[in-house]
Amino acid sequence: MAELSSPTRSTPALAVESLTYAYPESAAPALCEVSLELAAGELALLAGRSACGKSTLLRAACGLVPHFHGGEIDGRIAVAGIDALACGPGQLASAVGYLAQDPETQVVSTTVAAEIELPLEMRGDAAGARARAVEEVALALAIPHLLGRAVDTLSGGELQRVALAAALVTRPQLVLLDEPTSQLDPVAGDELVWLLRRLNEEWGVTILLAEHRLERCLAAADRVVAMESGRVAFDGAPREFLAWAQGADTALETPAARLFSLCGIEPLPVGVRDARQTLRRTGVAHPPHPAGRRVSDSGSADRILQAKALWVALDAGEGPRDVLHDVDLAVRRGERVALMGRNGAGKSTLLRTAASLVDPVRGGVDAPAGMALLTQNPSDYLVRERVGDELPGEAGLAALRVVGLEHALDADPRDLSGGERQRLALAIALAGRIDGGELPGLVALDEPTRGMDRARKDDLVGLIEDLANRGVGLLVATHDVEFAAAFAERVVLMGEGVVIADGPAAEILSGGWYFATEVSRVLDLPGVVTPKQGAAALKNPSADFAFSSAYRNERRSQREEGEGD
Amino acid sequence: MRSPFAYSPRPWPLQTASPSAAVAYLGSFAAVAFAYSNPIVLIAAGLGLVVAGRLAGARAAVRAALWMGLTLALLIVLVNALVVSRGETVLLRLGDVPLLSDVVTAEALAAGAVIGLRAAVVTIAFAVYSACVDPDRVLRALRPLARRSALTATLVSRLVPVAAADASRLRDAARLRGPGAAPVGRAPLARRLLAGSLDRSVDVAATLELRGYSLSPTNPEPGATFSPPIRGTTRFTREGRARAGSPRLRSRYDRRFYAVGAAVLVAAIAGKLLGADAFSEYPALAVGLGLSTLTLSALLVLAGLAPRHG
Repeated sequence: MAELSSPTRSTPALAVESLTYAYPESAAPALCEVSLELAAGELALLAGRSACGKSTLLRAACGLVPHFHGGEIDGRIAVAGIDALACGPGQLASAVGYLAQDPETQVVSTTVAAEIELPLEMRGDAAGARARAVEEVALALAIPHLLGRAVDTLSGGELQRVALAAALVTRPQLVLLDEPTSQLDPVAGDELVWLLRRLNEEWGVTILLAEHRLERCLAAADRVVAMESGRVAFDGAPREFLAWAQGADTALETPAARLFSLCGIEPLPVGVRDARQTLRRTGVAHPPHPAGRRVSDSGSADRILQAKALWVALDAGEGPRDVLHDVDLAVRRGERVALMGRNGAGKSTLLRTAASLVDPVRGGVDAPAGMALLTQNPSDYLVRERVGDELPGEAGLAALRVVGLEHALDADPRDLSGGERQRLALAIALAGRIDGGELPGLVALDEPTRGMDRARKDDLVGLIEDLANRGVGLLVATHDVEFAAAFAERVVLMGEGVVIADGPAAEILSGGWYFATEVSRVLDLPGVVTPKQGAAALKNPSADFAFSSAYRNERRSQREEGEGD
Repeated sequence: MRSPFAYSPRPWPLQTASPSAAVAYLGSFAAVAFAYSNPIVLIAAGLGLVVAGRLAGARAAVRAALWMGLTLALLIVLVNALVVSRGETVLLRLGDVPLLSDVVTAEALAAGAVIGLRAAVVTIAFAVYSACVDPDRVLRALRPLARRSALTATLVSRLVPVAAADASRLRDAARLRGPGAAPVGRAPLARRLLAGSLDRSVDVAATLELRGYSLSPTNPEPGATFSPPIRGTTRFTREGRARAGSPRLRSRYDRRFYAVGAAVLVAAIAGKLLGADAFSEYPALAVGLGLSTLTLSALLVLAGLAPRHG
């Protein structure tokens, strides 16, 4: 048992010193000589591309590494004065709370109240103290109405809040969060980030937050730690981080910072408010509102999906409930459509109905030209140990060619990168539907960017464009507004099972609060949603905009620049 | 999709009752099912449970249990009729078939029906228990008695719905494979589900570690608790203590469920002594319809009203 000292105000909430760690049977270390100190009461953002060591660092800070995962570790790590290498996660539980990406596996009880109470019970708190702590944390997170609910009836956002409550109920000094907003809609994601800020300010909780969508939380952070290949590449204030990212890794830039870079405006903004203030200070003229463009309707001839007066009811155990209400939707060949809306709006149900996984109770969906649907977990499609076994024969090879994986025939799907696994799953859905080089009429993707860094999202945008250029209609359900701005020409916004808005992406993604890109929130110009459009508007106020195509061209040139480097 | 047998917390009498009171109440019906063979009594016990389940808001569970129980009962009737050759009333002659009886008798059919009815009653009782009794409260009650078993039960109770959801997703993904992809048989799907379940169980085990499950609540390691639980002079009321682990206050229905459960058991014992279980299948069918049988049956149906509000 390690010697435990009583924490004082000067004791850092987290102290990491020359920490090097390798997972069992892994040749390369996941963390290399990481040194970091978080003072009590700080809110720090952990940035970096996928697989750069962010999650491993968080797992080391809560004791799961090495106590639960094993492996070789060297260096020192202490949480609130407690030696995390000597004490396991159980002993650290009162000092540190941990919230992982997938809330499904973070709940172990049947009801919400029991789940939140469990850490206190394990600690041996008296029943009355437990009841008080549960009540208080539920009030702090605005979830007292959920206390009596069964955990398997909660939405993703609700489950994430419950898991956060269980992590906070012991009143830990340090809270670690691993991409907590990746499964949340923009509304719930923003609410969670500001809730963390409030907890940080009012309770003094130290927070270390790993996140890919930096534009969502940079403004709330006191400090940013950027990781690269298991090492700390940058550690400093958010504004300094943006300046560093501009030169070191543009994939980590926020859209507002990119906008300022393109316009040569300094300093780079850490959030929407900051950006507006800088624009006002620097006297950059606000351009006039450009006219929006309508999505052209070329008639019914090339429609490859048509939902007419669609009603769908689902039974979650308490009787059937209407999930889709009288939905009308058409998608044309070669069209790129983003399906957006908050959690539970009916996006996935619409896709599942189109793919005949769910039967409508009234109305119908017509997909005459065939359809391939990739659900939220691409790994569900991978059941064999060899890519060639998943996709045998000429039909399989043709599908692999479409997604650019023909070279990986003998690879084990588990050895592929996350992006490649997603492409393979798409190839599995497409196999046999490619007729003499002609692709199926419609490809639908359900939340394809969960846990993806921006470089991988750009690759996915490239694949979507490629498919669309070959005449495939794309219908993509997503919460990621920046991603939607990058690929979509049209956005269908759903709420409570109905289509509440349907129009050009640039129009829908500007002029709103939540379903709006960072650039549109900065400039508040209808039709301006991407950094390049924003830069064009600022440099040439009379210019008209080509909407999403400008952003796509910008991304393409960025990729080319990256390859050139 | 939620299982109809999954627990649904509701502020209703049976759900708010303590697990022991609910078990005493529902267990008394199951005890009658095991102890009695008279089909009138068994039907009454089943009817009482259906009423109880509906009053407790477990309609979906009762419906699913009726479907399962009656299917099972039908299977038992069929097997019993085909393998038992006892009974005087021959309905059908099968001839000389290996392993099977040469005749189907009305008595064998009735005997099978009684066994099937018993299984159906127990199934309904379990279904109502599963849908109305909070497993967390049961596990909490068990934890001091059998810590490892409670841990195993916790993991299983969490992993079963997660595995069911995984299986549903994998089936969907199998249906969405293109016609040119290798078809997914049951074996690869089962292997994939097993591998996924192992990953899931590791994640759930990690969560339990993070919640401090490895600590002994009765003997925490010195210094392991960073923020000591509130002690001092704060007094917590009995209601406050009872509220722990549940947003509800103590149930005022506990006594009712204990009393009704006890009444059913006492009546069942008395009925046995007074001949309420009069029933014989062989050699000829004879069903007792005496006063004691009818009284006990009426009591069982009335006992089903216990989960009523008020």
